[in-house]
Amino acid sequence: MGFIRDNQEERFRFVEFWARYVREHDDREWSRQQNVIINSSLRSSRMTREEFLKMKG
Amino acid sequence: MRFGKGLIEIDRELSDLDVFAMDFIRILRKHSKYVIVSGYVSILLGRSRSSEDIDIIIPAMDFPEFALLFRDMYSNGFYCLNSDKEKEAYSYARDKIAIRFAKKDDVIPNIELKFSKNKADEISLKETLKVRLGKEDIVISSLEMQVAFKENVLGSQKDIEDAMHIRNVAGNNLKKELIEKYSVMLRGFYKG
Repeated sequence: MGFIRDNQEERFRFVEFWARYVREHDDREWSRQQNVIINSSLRSSRMTREEFLKMKG
Repeated sequence: MRFGKGLIEIDRELSDLDVFAMDFIRILRKHSKYVIVSGYVSILLGRSRSSEDIDIIIPAMDFPEFALLFRDMYSNGFYCLNSDKEKEAYSYARDKIAIRFAKKDDVIPNIELKFSKNKADEISLKETLKVRLGKEDIVISSLEMQVAFKENVLGSQKDIEDAMHIRNVAGNNLKKELIEKYSVMLRGFYKG
């Protein structure tokens, strides 16, 4: 439980850190970095219609 | 990011997900009122994560209206993952099953489109905000409703983090008493 709780607290700290970054920086600056996550995630996701619908139940 | 009355202006670099969402909405808004809810709202506001789908609620519609929307989607390069047959897709939507649209040859990202089915959906459709991305506006649910829904109904780690992000980014632009009002309502509504 200690690891899970510590991990959760660390994630919450990062969410707060990143939100402050978004507030304090130009939209172009944070979105450029956010897009690295979004675009790479979408481009690496390859599955068929059937596989996707099965995954979603 | 600038918060105004009923409008948030974001001068962001568009992601592939933003471009996909705006392509879909350009067609959808010709046929229906709509509201974007859930994960994509927090992503629009800068949350450091991606999503494979975008949740959109529309008012329930009759089959002839739905058929026009469905055909317009197909003639603009989208297809329905659930079924290529408009009657079958409509029956899913009418039975409160979300139907998904993606660009031809793709599965991800996709739009999860639902007919409004309860009071929470009705409030989401009624209490909206515009987000201005470049020269275009898109419609999202009120941030107070999003926070309340994520904290009280969905409740996963991801949802709690989404709500925390919205709270932190929107700050004093959020009406805290409205979040509480929606929270009480949603807890009662989804109890049991």
